[in-house]
Amino acid sequence: MTAAVEFHNVSRHFGTVRAVDRVDLAIDEGSFFAMLGPSGSGKTTCLRLISGFEKPTTGSIRIFGEDMGDVPPNRRHVNTVFQDYALFPHMNVRDNVAYGLMVKGVERRTRHERAEELLSLVKLDGFGERKPAQLSGGQRQRVALARALVNEPRVLLLDEPLGALDLKLREAMQDELKALQRRLGITFVFVTHDQGEALSMADRVAVFNDGRIAQVGTPSDVYDRPATRFVADFVGSSNVLPPDLTRSFGGPRLWASLRPESIRFTGASDPKAKGRVTALRYLGSGTRVALETGGQEIAVLVPAGAPVPDIGEVSGLTWDPAALHLMEDA
Amino acid sequence: MHSEARPPLALTLGAVLGLLFLHLPILLIFLYAFTTEDRSYQFPPPDLTTKWFGVAWNRADIWPPLYLSLRVAAISSGLALVLGTLCAAAMARARFFGRDTISLLVVLPIALPGIITGMSLRSAFAIADIPFSTWTIVLGHATFCVVIVYNNAVARFRRLGASMLEASADLGANSFQTFRHVILPNLGSALLAGGMLAFALSFDEVIVTTFTAGQQSTLPIWMLNELVRPRQRPVTNVVAIVVFSATFLPILAAYYLTRSGEETAGGGK
Repeated sequence: MTAAVEFHNVSRHFGTVRAVDRVDLAIDEGSFFAMLGPSGSGKTTCLRLISGFEKPTTGSIRIFGEDMGDVPPNRRHVNTVFQDYALFPHMNVRDNVAYGLMVKGVERRTRHERAEELLSLVKLDGFGERKPAQLSGGQRQRVALARALVNEPRVLLLDEPLGALDLKLREAMQDELKALQRRLGITFVFVTHDQGEALSMADRVAVFNDGRIAQVGTPSDVYDRPATRFVADFVGSSNVLPPDLTRSFGGPRLWASLRPESIRFTGASDPKAKGRVTALRYLGSGTRVALETGGQEIAVLVPAGAPVPDIGEVSGLTWDPAALHLMEDA
Repeated sequence: MHSEARPPLALTLGAVLGLLFLHLPILLIFLYAFTTEDRSYQFPPPDLTTKWFGVAWNRADIWPPLYLSLRVAAISSGLALVLGTLCAAAMARARFFGRDTISLLVVLPIALPGIITGMSLRSAFAIADIPFSTWTIVLGHATFCVVIVYNNAVARFRRLGASMLEASADLGANSFQTFRHVILPNLGSALLAGGMLAFALSFDEVIVTTFTAGQQSTLPIWMLNELVRPRQRPVTNVVAIVVFSATFLPILAAYYLTRSGEETAGGGK
């Protein structure tokens, strides 16, 4: 199977800044792919390299096996949902959605019918006559989505698609986008700085750091088996153990991660480690206990219903040896 | 409520006097277009008549300057529309070394006293051995007309935002289609306003014109000559009304067109 999008040793420099630095990447056709990373990590530049608004300084990009070297954005079978939606303010919603067909010369009646179909796909039936200014943020985003789908792209790019929405709406849209992607069967590539969003929506996640990909994998790969310190820090809230602590926890002298939910309190006489409780945080679904051990703070997640130690108490800790995950110092 | 307290009487009086001082002379010019007395501006006019409009209509020496002024204003604002828009498009989208300097150089002619612009153009024409023609006047006027259009357009480009143009390209539009379907509809009223302002400014320009016209006379220059050697004085006032309408109405229209954007730039020249 050819990959929908392939990066071969792609770099993009802005002056002396390496926004994207020697990236290799393959995005499978029909997958929901997330590019996750803090701002300035190169994820948005990668998205713009796919859409064609940026050109690689070195390296090459292929879309369905075709080299994109000299292909301008308007001739790529890729469409984008922009972060600020970028709807055309002087056109009504129907003309916004039909824009891609209009510039291709599709006659008015056909393109209006198609626009109505797409509006109904994003649950905006009957909104065709309105101007973008008369819509709410969530509705505008649906229009942007419908507009980007009108040319039946094989790859849809979404730049921080949920960034401008409030929390409730964001959660609802996560489910909807996921359902839409499954229904259309096309490749979705989305950029986000929110690890929760990336983990819950994507089939595969690429974690970006300083213009490079720190790790690519399924959400559970990235969450449970972070490849580097950076990934462990950025994705979720794992305990990152320096080499000495890993050693005292029974591992080799290497960096490691140990998830708070993998650690249990034990009354056994020879626990794997001992820690003094310094803080408690009640989360509803459980309690997060902060302990001090070997000069380092680590967290333990106690599920609801299980006994919680008191502050100042020294407790024994244990975990499944497989939970201690070793990683690179990067 | 305190905030709705009336302003002090002195302030109101000052404002009224100020407005009268600004606008009474204009009304007087209108009034003297109707006076029956044609040698001196006697007040009050002995009687009122509309015959000067007929006289002005039949005066052969008014028409060539009027045509020249209209032609110069039309060509300069047309030129300014093309050059100003292109310049604004480049400035709004590109980031390059010296961009701010170029932006300043584009806007500079409007800050430069007309007499400097006029003198430098005149000596440039003399050095290059260019004979005076309609085109030398147009060149002179274009220096400030381009600025007006540029200022209007650049403000609108800024509001348009880069992502909208990218969205258009992303959906398959080529640059011409993007210009036609996205840029122009959003730029339209700003361009119309800029063009009309430029037309109005060119139509009543005297200083730069004096240096670049040679023996030709535009309508404002004809008026200036007429005031020095009076002959049928009220005819000059009739022409003043024409100039007033040709410049005031476009400026008013430009103001209303861009009112929502608050960007009628360059109205102060």
